[in-house]
Amino acid sequence: MKHFKKLTYPYVIWSALMIVVPLLLIALYAFTTDGNVVKKVSFTLENFAKIIEPTYLNVFWKSIKMGAITTVICLVVGYPLAYIISKCKEEVQGLLILVVTIPTWINMLLRTYAWMNLLADNGIINNLLSKLGIGPLTMMYTDFSVILGMVCNFLPFMIIPIHTSLSKMDHSLIEAAYDLGADPVQTFRKIILKLSMPGVINGCMMVFLMSISTFVIPKLLGGGQYVLVGNLIENQFISVGDWNFGSAISLLLAAIILIFMRVTKKIDVKEN
Amino acid sequence: MKGLRRFLSRFYMALCFIFFYLPIVVTVIFSFNSSKSLTNFTGFSLRWYEELLSNSEIMSAVYVSVTVALLSTVVSTVLGTMTALGLSKSRKFLKEYLLNVNNIPVLNPEIVSAISLMLLFSSVGMPKGYWTMLLAHISFCTPFVITSVYPKVRSLDPNLANAAMDLGATPFQALTKVILPMIRPGIFAGALLAFTMSFDDFVISYFVSGNGVKNISIIVYNMTKRINPTINALSTIVIVVIVAILVFVNVIPVIRKKRRKTEASYSKHKKRSYIAAGVACVLLICLVAGISAASQGGKKTLYVYNAGEYIDPDLLTQFENEYNCTVIYDTFESNEMMYTKLSSGERYDVLVPSDYMIERLIREEYLAPIQWDLITNKDKLMDEVLDKSYDPGNVYSVPYFWGTVGILYDTTVVSEEDMAAGWDVLMNPKYRGNLYMYDSERDSFMVALKALGYSMNTHDEEQIREAYEWLITQRDSMDPVYAGDDVIDNMISGNKALAIVYSGDASYIMSENENMSYCTPSQGTNLWYDAMVITKNCQETELAHAFIDFMLRDDVALANTEYVGYTSVVSSAYEAMQETTYAGINAYVPDISNSKNEIFAYQDTEIKRLFAELWTKVKAQ
Repeated sequence: MKHFKKLTYPYVIWSALMIVVPLLLIALYAFTTDGNVVKKVSFTLENFAKIIEPTYLNVFWKSIKMGAITTVICLVVGYPLAYIISKCKEEVQGLLILVVTIPTWINMLLRTYAWMNLLADNGIINNLLSKLGIGPLTMMYTDFSVILGMVCNFLPFMIIPIHTSLSKMDHSLIEAAYDLGADPVQTFRKIILKLSMPGVINGCMMVFLMSISTFVIPKLLGGGQYVLVGNLIENQFISVGDWNFGSAISLLLAAIILIFMRVTKKIDVKEN
Repeated sequence: MKGLRRFLSRFYMALCFIFFYLPIVVTVIFSFNSSKSLTNFTGFSLRWYEELLSNSEIMSAVYVSVTVALLSTVVSTVLGTMTALGLSKSRKFLKEYLLNVNNIPVLNPEIVSAISLMLLFSSVGMPKGYWTMLLAHISFCTPFVITSVYPKVRSLDPNLANAAMDLGATPFQALTKVILPMIRPGIFAGALLAFTMSFDDFVISYFVSGNGVKNISIIVYNMTKRINPTINALSTIVIVVIVAILVFVNVIPVIRKKRRKTEASYSKHKKRSYIAAGVACVLLICLVAGISAASQGGKKTLYVYNAGEYIDPDLLTQFENEYNCTVIYDTFESNEMMYTKLSSGERYDVLVPSDYMIERLIREEYLAPIQWDLITNKDKLMDEVLDKSYDPGNVYSVPYFWGTVGILYDTTVVSEEDMAAGWDVLMNPKYRGNLYMYDSERDSFMVALKALGYSMNTHDEEQIREAYEWLITQRDSMDPVYAGDDVIDNMISGNKALAIVYSGDASYIMSENENMSYCTPSQGTNLWYDAMVITKNCQETELAHAFIDFMLRDDVALANTEYVGYTSVVSSAYEAMQETTYAGINAYVPDISNSKNEIFAYQDTEIKRLFAELWTKVKAQ
């Protein structure tokens, strides 16, 4: 179908204008000095040299760690759910997927506020616990609250791609596997998991990316001491006003993500 | 065995859904709360729904959120599907290029996309508003459509379309009758994702919109300071509407199908497309109505930019009626945020920044001098707030609110003797893990420098380092939470014993929680002033002055200080408040007797960067 080739042209132009050019502007900032107004462009690597400082490297490390933990939890929680949904009748499936997506239509900030009220020292959960005679638990402003908030917000983005892959799967393959004498574990490992791999990879990528760069959730649920890369960038742009350094951090983050992409792509290719 | 497995999987599903819906259920329940609290349910009432309906700001935000989400979903779904279809047939180079470019908005941290788009729009001179928001939304939604449609296209048999055409279909028919039905799940998933991303977006919208165009997220974010259940009421309505639509779309076809089973199945699809067409029509009508509403000609328009939750919104309506004009009112989260927007070329007439920022704006020539002869109420201003170091002689600024920074403490936990230590109470091991610091380098370094007996405007690097050490020691030994505006709600609920707060917030917290008390340490503190200024490119000079004058009127100033809780600069309102609402609340009366109190001064870039860097180090262990 050669005719379809032309269909990409509008997006080629659009992406150049709305994606590539803005990114080049960011890159320009990362390699220059002199603040927000690029009057005289002077090349520098200073911004990148600054990132090597332990404080900032630590921020990167912490973000990657939090992103990985969130992704793993989302996968472990989300995969079974996607699988259970995919086993339902078709009408029910559509409905259940909608039930999974509805929460994402409720404002993310608002859901995060609700978690703040649930988890606070004098919050709803602790009020209930104290009625049961259990002492107040410190949940807000900890790793727990941040990861909880991220999982709650990003889980649908894990479930939906996995479900898409699973529902695409030919169920007679599973029967065939059983007929050929495979036990459930083997069937799951060799057939189901393998066939849903594109969805898993897609979901993991989305969740990891969102959790590595979010700044609102750590800010609200983790407090100011919770500095992740997203917060660092936000800080540079908004309170410090050092757009050049902020751009440099963003570029580095993009590079890390690119490497991550290569790795997952390799897995993807190997699986196929 | 099978029954058990079914039970377990049902149980697991229920558990997951509880997790998803717990925050939403909480949101819904508290929308009916009779009091302002979001943690204690005091009784059923509909007052927040009434308040919501009378709040025109929220209603217009709903309009913006919905239309932007629908339009960007439609456009990005069409664009994305087209691209995904073409992609599989493109040459390798183009394919690789597009797929990689397409990944950028998905991979890039939202904040970076936001900044890059903001740079783009301001460099081509496009005024920020509805259209910039829409363009930005399309730009970040399309990749999500492509990523969900493309795998479906790839899994198609490449000969399918050829087969259709061999059988006599035109390319268009092959597309609509063969290809599209097969990739429909992918398209739906992509459209759903696009709608979700757009409807829920905060960061990008925040940066690329302006001129009073706000979506729900921006409104909610600006509410951080005083979250109130109005927004819960709004989300409850959103939930109800979504559920209603779902029931309509999913249940009705099922019923109809049952009724006339004999009918061919394609009628169902037809019905769906009717529904889609109906939605599109409604959408267009909304859009036209919105545009015509936005361009209500004739009236003068004033652009005001103030901090979030820093005015009684009724006063804006009152001003609009009295002066027959439109006020486009925007809010910022911090002075720095305001500066970022201002320096990116956005138009505002009246700003309400803080002292040090005013000093900076004067230096960088952003401001026009105030024509004092137009301010008829100038005599109502208290002497205490005039002629301060940030703007000697008040050439450029008219005071708005003022106050101090101090320590708010829970009198049931913290003793008076401990409080006598001033800022050093923040180092008292008794209160380890029981205090909030303020998440701002300015205020935190002020505390440390004052505790050490230095000036908070010091340029001495040695002293700054010492303050940094103080903050590090405090961080390690006291385990504080560095909170933002959420400290207000937290202290009203009494979550911790000590907090650094602004006096105006302290007054409000003390009026809501009588166990709290406020103290400004004897070592001195930050005495601050927020003032109204007029920008150099203000186009309604007269109206801008009228607005400033209006804010100083006795009745207006009183209503404003009553609503916001910060200390008025108008003597009559200042005195009235001390006898009524805030009687006995010491935080309302700024302590100006202490000679160690200081006003923040402008910092040059070098020193600002040093503070910022050290503060990041304090926070990011």
